[in-house]
Amino acid sequence: MSPSLLKLKLKTGDNLLASALGQGIKWPHLCRVGSCGTCRCKLIKGKISPEIDFENILDQEQLKDGYILACKSSVRTDLMVEVNLQNVKPE
Amino acid sequence: MRTLFVNTRYLIVPLMSILTILGLVTGGIYVWAGVALFVLSAIIDTATKNIHLRADFDKDGNSYGIKMFQYGVMYLMLIVFITLQIAVAWRIYQYVNATPSEMLSVFGLTVQSGITGANLIGAIVSAGLWAGLGIIYGHELSHNKKEGFFVSRLIMSLSGASHFTYAHVYQHHLHLGHEKDPATAPRGRNVYMHTWLSHAGQSKFSFDLEKSRLEKKGKSFFSLDNKWILGYLYSLPSIVLFVWAGGIVGVAALLSLWLIANFELEALNFMGHYGLIREDGKPVEHRHSWDNDSVFTDWFFIAIGRQADHHVRGETYFWELDDVKGPNYGIGYFSLFLITLVPPLFKKYVRKHLDNWDEKYANQKEREIASQYGY
Repeated sequence: MSPSLLKLKLKTGDNLLASALGQGIKWPHLCRVGSCGTCRCKLIKGKISPEIDFENILDQEQLKDGYILACKSSVRTDLMVEVNLQNVKPE
Repeated sequence: MRTLFVNTRYLIVPLMSILTILGLVTGGIYVWAGVALFVLSAIIDTATKNIHLRADFDKDGNSYGIKMFQYGVMYLMLIVFITLQIAVAWRIYQYVNATPSEMLSVFGLTVQSGITGANLIGAIVSAGLWAGLGIIYGHELSHNKKEGFFVSRLIMSLSGASHFTYAHVYQHHLHLGHEKDPATAPRGRNVYMHTWLSHAGQSKFSFDLEKSRLEKKGKSFFSLDNKWILGYLYSLPSIVLFVWAGGIVGVAALLSLWLIANFELEALNFMGHYGLIREDGKPVEHRHSWDNDSVFTDWFFIAIGRQADHHVRGETYFWELDDVKGPNYGIGYFSLFLITLVPPLFKKYVRKHLDNWDEKYANQKEREIASQYGY
């Protein structure tokens, strides 16, 4: 997990946010259904399956830059993501 | 054995829906089967209201639920609900065309052709009651899978409520407990008023969401890319079917069916959050939903009553939701539903629960907001 290089144990099909929270990482989040965008992160490497259409929350530029919603991302491969762990306050 | 039990206990609605369809096909007094099964469910729910079970996990903390099986059932329910509409439309066709009453044998099943006006009412009410339960699948499928979201829209469109899927995820979950959420009933509102206000509010949200999305993309609102319009177009086959089956009678029947179904949907919203308060933008916590998890309610409504856990862990499958000690009416949905039907009774009943919530669950700010309302 960039930039502080925290590591998470994940397996295929795991929910990214739930796994992070379950492993004690204070990942910013609010709704956990893909409606607020608080848990967004940048996918640097690897593949996820979106469990919902990100288009309603993330704009075209964010989508192009590789942003995803962790709460609605099902893990497919090893991942490297960038998330602002300071962003804990709801927006 | 445990796996089998955990996965099959959620089949009450699928089985009863199929029995309702069989009743409609069989004809005669059996068209009332849906009403009878609904009443039977209410009796069982009330009789078992004090039994509360936890979610089932093995010693390693893994759920016994089989995702592929549960999703398979939910997807198949779309076909069951379509069949339910076809069955009642067929009875409307017989009524309008004064099909003579005679006993026929169809695939070994004795079927009474023709239908009386009284039995047609029974058929419509039966179908409406069980079509309305599409909400439990429409709700679950709105979360967790992209293709599930689409099936959710199709299931909800059978009740003319495809806007629900977007509004539920993008509005209700975000604004729960706040006046921005039309699905949260403020104190003092009754279930009948809530049905209209919540339905219209959610549809308007879905309208605004699409308007804004299409504007950003530089597209016209009047486009087949408009999911608000598209959602209502999904209801078109139902309208065509009922108009073909019975003209004006068919339209009246479909409107009745949709009214019953949407009343059930909004009654569930009403019961899930009535009078609970959350400051805008503050995290959703367990205290912002009423749990309703007596055993029959839990299995019948595929754990939709475990609202407290669901709203905090929205990514969690229904069979993994658990008791999180949120505010709880302590009775099943059927019993509570019957109480909500009589607003003065509900007002009296809910008072002690709201007092308890204000005292034991609410924070200071929420108490201040609550003091502006009655019960």
